[in-house]
Amino acid sequence: MELALQAFREFLSPQNVALSALGVVGGIIVGAVPGLSVTMATALLVSMTYAWDTKPALAMMLGIYAGGVYGGSRSAILINIPGTPSAVATGFDGYPMAQRGEAGMAIGLSTVQSFIGGVLGLVALVVAGPLISEFALKFAPRDYFLLVAMGLSLVSRLGAKSMPRALIAAAGGVLVGLVGMDPVTGEGRFTFGLPLLIGGVHFIAVLIGLFGLSEVFYQLGRVGRGDVPQIKIPEVGRILPSWALVLRFLPLSLRTSVLGIMVGALPGTGGEIAALLAYDHAKRTVRKPTRPFGQGAIEGVIAPETANNAAIGGALIPMLTLGIPGDAVTAVLIGALFIHGLRPGPLLMVEMPDLFWFIAASYALANVFLLIFGLMAVRPFVKLVNVNKKILMPMIALISVVGTYAIQNNIYDVFWMIGFGILGYFMKLGDYPVGPMVLGVILGPLADINFRRAILSVRGSVPAFLLELVTNPISLVLTIMMLSAFVPRLPSSAALRGLLGRLRLGKREGA
Amino acid sequence: MHAEAASRLLKFVLIPALVVTLAWGVMVVPSRAQVYPERSITGIIQWGAGGTTDRVSRRITPLAERALGQRVVLSNMTGASGAVGMQYVFDQRADGYTLLYAAENPTIYGVLDLSPRNFDEFEPINLFARSIPVVVVRSDSKLRYLTELIHLAKQQPGQIKAGSTGIGGVPFVVGAMMTAVSGVKFNPIPFDGDGPAIPALLGGHIDFHVSVMAAVAEHIRAGRMRALAVIDNVPADVAPGVPALGQMMPEYRPYLPWGPFFGVWVKKGTPAPAVRRLADAFRPAVASEDTREFLDLIGAVPLNLSGDEAMRWVKQWQSVTAWLLHDAKATQKSPEMFGIPRPARK
Repeated sequence: MELALQAFREFLSPQNVALSALGVVGGIIVGAVPGLSVTMATALLVSMTYAWDTKPALAMMLGIYAGGVYGGSRSAILINIPGTPSAVATGFDGYPMAQRGEAGMAIGLSTVQSFIGGVLGLVALVVAGPLISEFALKFAPRDYFLLVAMGLSLVSRLGAKSMPRALIAAAGGVLVGLVGMDPVTGEGRFTFGLPLLIGGVHFIAVLIGLFGLSEVFYQLGRVGRGDVPQIKIPEVGRILPSWALVLRFLPLSLRTSVLGIMVGALPGTGGEIAALLAYDHAKRTVRKPTRPFGQGAIEGVIAPETANNAAIGGALIPMLTLGIPGDAVTAVLIGALFIHGLRPGPLLMVEMPDLFWFIAASYALANVFLLIFGLMAVRPFVKLVNVNKKILMPMIALISVVGTYAIQNNIYDVFWMIGFGILGYFMKLGDYPVGPMVLGVILGPLADINFRRAILSVRGSVPAFLLELVTNPISLVLTIMMLSAFVPRLPSSAALRGLLGRLRLGKREGA
Repeated sequence: MHAEAASRLLKFVLIPALVVTLAWGVMVVPSRAQVYPERSITGIIQWGAGGTTDRVSRRITPLAERALGQRVVLSNMTGASGAVGMQYVFDQRADGYTLLYAAENPTIYGVLDLSPRNFDEFEPINLFARSIPVVVVRSDSKLRYLTELIHLAKQQPGQIKAGSTGIGGVPFVVGAMMTAVSGVKFNPIPFDGDGPAIPALLGGHIDFHVSVMAAVAEHIRAGRMRALAVIDNVPADVAPGVPALGQMMPEYRPYLPWGPFFGVWVKKGTPAPAVRRLADAFRPAVASEDTREFLDLIGAVPLNLSGDEAMRWVKQWQSVTAWLLHDAKATQKSPEMFGIPRPARK
């Protein structure tokens, strides 16, 4: 504890505080612009801060990390284009809220919930870091498969209007996700012999095309016909959610934080899956949401926003306790530690406890800045919803192109993005939801590789695979959770839910 | 009157201005090559942020930057085992303003039919270093020596779960070596790289893994993993006390030393002065104490080769790897089609 205090005192030097603040602001911007990724921004900082001391560099990187994961929700709420994959789920209800004129409230909520998730993630890191990372290592490939399958099963509940259409879109997404080199044999799949397709289609290009450009086409088509949709003029209204509101949803925030921390701590899964599973969790457990999910439910913003920031704390756990990255950004952070001459690994916490505490302190401060900056200057952002579509839409088109090119400086990504923009336009005309398709592209390949790892581990034996699902405790719990998603009307599951409902605060009933 | 004024303007002002501009341009162009680099340089890293290629490149480049007197702006361009980034650099002008930071993969693009590009189309500026692969198990594994692993694999063919990072990856090629020399087969479980394979080993989901030293050094030091052997002829300073494969089993010697390497290239046809200037800037950067310490930290061995020496190293490496893959029936096209000779028996 003395070390913690000392780290905090050292941390509070004006230089470190300023860099942390700068990092958070930069992160929010990077996060909000689709295509600019937090991973990329952190990597850029690695070369920029090469000559700096380790600690100021880390302070800034953690600021970018926290700000970036949060910033993605801005564009998801305001213009329905998730700035980062971890904000996809936020858009499901955040954008409908903005359409109802509650953009200010949605942003305020997402900020406060990100802060709560961030702080809880930090507490988990400090209190139970080593324990959680040992637990995370126990997850076998089949457990990853079950987690991803759970995320995919969300699709069937996502299309409120038509489940078959949602499933068709998701299946299309899975197919797109499988394009490219087979992860096991190296053969080209759906490449038609074209070298161009060997690398597959970058899922962020699909995301920007389907959410961004298709919306531009759709809206411009309506502008031309003088058929501009009437959006309620957003009243900025109250930005800071009331204590009562925060407290009312605190049980949900706590549950989704725990979920976010766990998913974040699993190497190879990050904020995007945490946010999706959290949204799914909210949808399944909240019986009477403030509004139906998908139409601006407050719970639909709270759950993913808490989870994706809690996942940061989660991802820092294996990074600091084992030297294993929990997601793409922590992989870059580990690289940065190496470049600064440190040895990230299981001994880092033992040999350099001050560094551990410094990172914890930096991340704590980044969360404070996130709260401050997130709640500042909301009004000008909210006005964005009001901007004439004839001006806003071409700007979004431009950002879509630039953002896509920025993913990996690859012009083919831009072509894909445009292609998916056109596809998304026709999907919208035909009333097919684009969200499930994006989920398919992100989750399909993960389900594929983890299933194959699992089945190869038992040398292709299906009975052995099924046996493991019920004999391993972690797998058993996940299997039950997944099955209960498919058979929601079983009396036993209703009873179980009733029991869980009683355990939770009964306040939501009155909503 | 106006027309006359216009023609006078054309005759006395615009045309001389044009002539002077052109003449200045002609005079300046040749001198440009001598002042290379006169603007910032783009560096394309063919692998993702945080990977070993990325770390090595980002660590060494700032040192060379000082000698060049210009910024080298690094960006990662990933995809198709690095072929996307390589193709990009190939499509740029051969003027020394676009560098390619690559690892060993392009040597086997041809036989794996991944990309038409290869290192023959590029000029090596500097081969920075090579990594030493090491065979690791969890510390509670009953395997103590590599010979025990090979013995066990003979008893239970295709059953021992080995980490794999895809065709052409380190575990794959080392596995192909073991198949070629000792005739053993494992059950490879595919991962996207050492990143996800290492937690799988620590969690007991695979039995062993072949990784570069950089990724496992700290786990060995912390006593969570045990190294059975380094894939080299002699024990490595970075892995004290770990026996070398070539010493334990001399029949592996023809394939060694083998391991991933990292370096920086420019497109062939880049003016010789620019190539020289770059090579002169990178050589001391790689030789510096800073870099040596860093390479030590990540368990890599400095090479610091340029020009013909670098090309020879790459060719030898290509011949060993391409034929190993071919003999393991993992190639799409025979190495012969690319004129890659079988490795000479040492």
